[in-house]
Amino acid sequence: MNKYGDPMIKTENLSKSFSGLEVLKNINLTVETGEVVAILGPSGSGKSTLLRMFNGLEELSGGRIQVGGISVDANQSQRERNKQIGKIRLHTGMVFQQFNLYPHKTVLQNVVEALLIVKKIPREKAITLGEKLLKRVGLLEKKDQYPNRLSGGQQQRVAIARALAMEPDLMLFDEPTSALDPELVDEVLAVIKELAHTGMTMVIVTHEMEFAREVADRIIFMADGVVVEEGTSEEFFSRPKTERARKFLKMEEVIN
Amino acid sequence: MDIIWSNLPFLLKGAYYTLLITIVSMFFGSIIAVVVAIARLKGNRSIRWLARAYVSIIRGTPTLVQIIIVYYGLADYGLNLQPLTAAYIALSISIGAYLSETLRGAIQAIPKGQYEAAYASGMTPIQTMKRIILPQAIRIAIPPAGNTFIGMLKETSLVSVITVTELLRSAQLLIAQYYVYMPFYLAIAVMYWILSTGFSFILERIERRLSIYE
Repeated sequence: MNKYGDPMIKTENLSKSFSGLEVLKNINLTVETGEVVAILGPSGSGKSTLLRMFNGLEELSGGRIQVGGISVDANQSQRERNKQIGKIRLHTGMVFQQFNLYPHKTVLQNVVEALLIVKKIPREKAITLGEKLLKRVGLLEKKDQYPNRLSGGQQQRVAIARALAMEPDLMLFDEPTSALDPELVDEVLAVIKELAHTGMTMVIVTHEMEFAREVADRIIFMADGVVVEEGTSEEFFSRPKTERARKFLKMEEVIN
Repeated sequence: MDIIWSNLPFLLKGAYYTLLITIVSMFFGSIIAVVVAIARLKGNRSIRWLARAYVSIIRGTPTLVQIIIVYYGLADYGLNLQPLTAAYIALSISIGAYLSETLRGAIQAIPKGQYEAAYASGMTPIQTMKRIILPQAIRIAIPPAGNTFIGMLKETSLVSVITVTELLRSAQLLIAQYYVYMPFYLAIAVMYWILSTGFSFILERIERRLSIYE
């Protein structure tokens, strides 16, 4: 199963500061290949920052991170780190809260862009793959539309297809449904669930508790820049170990 | 009126040069603008400083002075440029400074998420700039750049002082021959107006074609 012989993600004493303020403190965690992990926690807990460090969108301030056997650490030179991050990104897909589709490109162009530019595969092959992925997220008939003609839910499904186009070994989801109208959330969650069943390694930052419970194998609960608790989805939701987690779950219950 | 009709070919030749200088300067000015805008945003300290100095000097001095420096000033150092070449150089450098500011603003208007999506998919900063950021920024920059281009068309009249026989100088040459002013000056005013209107029309069309995704 694991083609790297290592966990998909492993962090050692990972830390992150923004202008002196420490937002992540000594994070030690692993994500196994094929595992679906949800990162939960109140706003400002550092969960999105942590996720964004997995593919180098945030620089690390200290410690070490290893993704798919490629490691980045604070002692490397900037140049070395950038090189490693570049390699990590080639086999990592990311889905953003705000979709971030390219507005000047059609749906299909959005999906195949990196195939053509980064992987440099022939156009016809890229288009075949792109259409296959759009079909998978149920949007093949929209392939020649521009993103602004699509609903938020549809845009996010295109963004998922775009991330999958690079045939990643790891998918990162940064609050994929937080910017959506409530009635559009389910169609996106359905696509992510379907993906989880294919054995894709996924890390999901989310506020959708029901969804996390259903889709995740394991929960990492964060608060104030540290991992407070981790455990199987079942353990975390039925028998949270810490007071902080219990409080969080109660709050979420009230909100929903 | 006859005096205009009989000299129309000569005036049209002037109009041709006006148009030619405008288009050539627009072309090279746009290239300068892209380079300078990116230099100001992404360059290291000294490159940023250099780009800023360029913009500041060009915007802070009259275009007429710039033209004269390129044509007469450089001659002091043995660089004898053809009038037309000097016109191209001076106006490209001039328009490049103004356009680079427009483009810089447009690049800064592109959301951070666009860079992140491109980087996350493995694109390099150069690929991201070329494929994702600039195409969007140029669309934003087109309406204000259109104003600069039309201003440019009119500013080409300044190169008459370095003996380029564009529209204004062709009128002056005719005046020297016939000793009447008004018909020739009015004729070229009308021709400038027609050229600017044509330009606006084309720019509007481009703008509309590029905004289909909005």
